[in-house]
Amino acid sequence: MSIPEEIDFEVDADDLSPLAADARPLGAPSLVVDDLYITYRVFGGKRVGAGVGAPPSLLKRLLGRGRTHVGGVTSVEAVKGISFVARHGESIGIVGINGSGKSTLMRAIAGLIPPTQGAVYVSGDPSLLGVNAVLMGSLTGERNVMIGGLALGLSPEEVREKFDDIVEFSGIGDAVYLPMSAYSSGMGARLRFAISAAAVPDVLMIDEALATGDAAFRKKSKDRIDAIRDQAATVFLVSHSLATIESICSRTLWIHQGKLVMDGPAAEVCAAYKAFVKAQDGASR
Amino acid sequence: MRAVAQASGLRQMGVRPPLTDYVRSLWARRAFIRTLGQAKAYARNQGSYLGQLWSILNPLLNSLVYVFIFGLLIKTTRGTENGIAFIVTGVFLYRFFDSSVSTGANSLKSNMSLVRSVHFPRAVLPISTTITELTTLGPALVVMVLISWASGFIPSQGEVPFTWRLLLLPVAVALMWVFNTGCAFMVARWVAITPDLGNVIPFALRFVFYASGVLFSVDHYLKDHEALAGVLSYQPIAAFLDIGRQAVLNDPVAAPLDLTMWFVALGWAILFLVVGFWIFWRGEERYGRD
Repeated sequence: MSIPEEIDFEVDADDLSPLAADARPLGAPSLVVDDLYITYRVFGGKRVGAGVGAPPSLLKRLLGRGRTHVGGVTSVEAVKGISFVARHGESIGIVGINGSGKSTLMRAIAGLIPPTQGAVYVSGDPSLLGVNAVLMGSLTGERNVMIGGLALGLSPEEVREKFDDIVEFSGIGDAVYLPMSAYSSGMGARLRFAISAAAVPDVLMIDEALATGDAAFRKKSKDRIDAIRDQAATVFLVSHSLATIESICSRTLWIHQGKLVMDGPAAEVCAAYKAFVKAQDGASR
Repeated sequence: MRAVAQASGLRQMGVRPPLTDYVRSLWARRAFIRTLGQAKAYARNQGSYLGQLWSILNPLLNSLVYVFIFGLLIKTTRGTENGIAFIVTGVFLYRFFDSSVSTGANSLKSNMSLVRSVHFPRAVLPISTTITELTTLGPALVVMVLISWASGFIPSQGEVPFTWRLLLLPVAVALMWVFNTGCAFMVARWVAITPDLGNVIPFALRFVFYASGVLFSVDHYLKDHEALAGVLSYQPIAAFLDIGRQAVLNDPVAAPLDLTMWFVALGWAILFLVVGFWIFWRGEERYGRD
């Protein structure tokens, strides 16, 4: 297995300078994840078994082939028994290779994917800050700001109040009055980020949001995340940039194949993860 | 773990909230429901030179087809005073039901990326799809009434004057919208849990179409089968078509003013909304995992 692009070893000066280690005192628990399991149901496919071993019999192959086309349902276990407690004032980084279940875990905490087994307890309203909030391409940016804001639970007045802010922050200018299908992918991502950053939640989750747009927008979104971070009780950050995680987070969870491998201070966990990825990378060469 | 969570007053995520809380949070999102529904209706007519004009042109062309085929070529409308108006009202109101159910069935699947990125009571989605259909129906109703009125000037057809009864049309449509929303709730859950049912719905709808007297008068064609005619004319869709026709047509034979039918329609609307909402709410913790 080769995963060379997994770690961003570069240390970006921007990532480090303005962010002192989080020194806020820890408070009461704000989030409890109790033996969480998430199983997806996937239609129209069949997980291919281990390629080694004797080839299956003709009968088995025929039956197996039928199963992929009729009644082809596969269960995918994305999260398998994760438990931890987060406290008010903590910033927690989440690391792991692609497909390890990081995003699924975030979504389960945000209440977007119901647990198959186990439970998630949260204080207040958790919110997932991302660039994937859906918007409607055939409508103008203006209408989309309203829809996105209302979806986040703001009232129409609040959205109207924040409208100028959102547009200014996204930096797309008068293009906000054009249909979103006319936007470049970068412009669309900026507007989506600006919308999702409009509300301040109690538990904030940031999924790769730092990687949006050009350098100038990256800096701007970073400042905005810091501002939200100061107001939110607990912050989760999913990122492949270990430098970012080490600079922002006091604690880090390492997830591999849906299981919690390590939970501890950011520097320790990141070092262990880095060693793991290097070993994997070396083994594959 | 559970004790720790409860001691610090945390709320469990991803579980079905109690019914009253669910209704309350849904009510709090009413602006979202309306905006999403109307935006989708608006988006349908984008991407053409004539833009929103199509919301009038579409039903107009549609009704011209029916006028031509059923008014002039085929006579299925014996037992009615004005066959054209009878069919146009029937088809338009039936399409409202038909499209509400078929888009309602896919309301979770087609909004999956929204479901996976923002947390809100999922009942928002089926309601907003029926709002979309209601918004689309608005201009179509104007066309429907005008075509019915104009058809009264064709010599073979009975007159369809504007009367005070037209004021009842919004009431009939509102009742039907409530009913459609209830149906959308039911099918939305069934299709979300078992996607295969999505393939069966069009056939069920086609069956309902022929069993509801959209193109012909049930009473007239089933004169000799009283029991069957009774069932077919009091089933929900037939009841809604009937009260809609009572409001628009001036037809003492096919759609006489009959208060009983309005109460029947009201009963169906409330029954389906309550049962449908309950069915949908029961599945709340399953939506979004597939």
